[in-house]
Amino acid sequence: MRDLHFSRGSRKIFDGLSLDIPRGKVVGLMGPSGTGKTTLLKLIGGQLRPDSGTVTIDGLNVHELSRRELYALRKRMGMLFQSGALLTDLDVFENVAFPLREHTRLQEPLLRQLVMMKLEAVGLRGARELMPSELSGGMARRVALARAIVLDPMIIMYDEPFTGLDPITKGTIVSLIKQLNETLGLSSIVVSHDVHETIMISDFVYVISDGKVVDSGPADELANSESAWVQQFIQGLPDGPAPFHYPATDYQDDMFGASGP
Amino acid sequence: MNALQRLGRWALGVFERLGRGHVFLLQVLISLPSLITRPMLVIREIFSVGVLSLLIILVSGLFVGMVLGLQGYVNFAKFGAEESLGMFVALSLVRELGPVVTALLFAGRAGSALSAEIGLMKATEQLSGMEMMAVDPLKRVIAPRFLAGVISMPLLAGIFSMVGVYGGYFVGVGLLGVDEGAFWSQMQGKVDLRADVVNGIIKSVVFGIVATWIAVFEGYDAVPTSEGISRATTRTVVNSSLAVLGLDFVLTALMFGDL
Repeated sequence: MRDLHFSRGSRKIFDGLSLDIPRGKVVGLMGPSGTGKTTLLKLIGGQLRPDSGTVTIDGLNVHELSRRELYALRKRMGMLFQSGALLTDLDVFENVAFPLREHTRLQEPLLRQLVMMKLEAVGLRGARELMPSELSGGMARRVALARAIVLDPMIIMYDEPFTGLDPITKGTIVSLIKQLNETLGLSSIVVSHDVHETIMISDFVYVISDGKVVDSGPADELANSESAWVQQFIQGLPDGPAPFHYPATDYQDDMFGASGP
Repeated sequence: MNALQRLGRWALGVFERLGRGHVFLLQVLISLPSLITRPMLVIREIFSVGVLSLLIILVSGLFVGMVLGLQGYVNFAKFGAEESLGMFVALSLVRELGPVVTALLFAGRAGSALSAEIGLMKATEQLSGMEMMAVDPLKRVIAPRFLAGVISMPLLAGIFSMVGVYGGYFVGVGLLGVDEGAFWSQMQGKVDLRADVVNGIIKSVVFGIVATWIAVFEGYDAVPTSEGISRATTRTVVNSSLAVLGLDFVLTALMFGDL
């Protein structure tokens, strides 16, 4: 990913962002909420276009592909949405089977075996007849994970996989991501602001703020970062280089000054 | 100046949406051929759009027909033309009330549901998720629903008119004592297949296209929040009702107006 510029309205989101995702590794992208981490994944997936800069996957420039080529590339990418994005009118089995039914003409018995294997991998084979509304947040995310890997992609992108989960479920997801990466040999991009979990599973971490990479390095070295900003982020201090206050005029002026009502 | 600016901005917004709506319609039409290989998708939507609207269509048709029978009888009786009741009921239904009332009910029953469903799919990232799975939501979600609406509407309008005729028959012949033979033979003699029935069907096809188009577009274009979806469903019902009534005048003028 090279020199990416992207802005929404007048707000600059990425200002010359560059990073590499090595094959077969787990790469963590960390940064505070609102830095456009999800936007970054949408840029990688070709759902959004950058103002300038390129995203190259496996030698292909994502934003120069034709629609057909882009769709062919997407079949080799899995994405786990924060909400799971399960299709609410289909049950768990059909949700996982969905990409297979759309893209392949597999016979029913083979399709069933494939789906069962993926569901077994996330430990939800027994839940195959439930509807998405009957699942807990963690289960929904595991089903979405099974669906994301059903076409055996080469890249899988996780959008905030740990947010809003209890510690046990979080642990399950952490070990699942790790396991899948090792057994399937795929490249993973984990976007998150959960420092602890991200460092635990990632081989390499990028810290993003204000549209730029602030720091990067192997996960275990990040704690020794010299950047005051990274230290504030990792340790979760409320105030520091990243201010607690949203930019505003002087408090005194606002309360009692001439600009008041 | 400020008011003028606001007017300009509003007008630009309206035309921009209108443009987007037409591009969207074009994309949906282009996606339609891909459904040939997957008829089950369309059939399932016909069930939820058409079959589930049957009850409201049946009941409304019956009552509209009964009211027509009653009003027609009272007024025809003043100059002794009760026998024309059959023709009156049938023509009113086939030419106007069948297509129009069905389209209005369809917008309220099925159109709003379509908008809400698609809007919610957008809000819960299901559409975005499909795109990432290399599935085009226009082909998989929008096109089947659009086609289902366009197919369902004329059928529902036909059922509405048929039930309405029986409603008029029940009141006119059954309760008020109009001669049964006259009721049916007047209807048979005065309702023309080409001029009345076919024109009625054309109307309902046009209404079907417009009402379903508005419904799926509003859903697809909705702001993905609770408020955005509620506004989208409201706009669906209001805009498609207005469009149906406005188009009805245009079509009637073209078909029966001799303008």
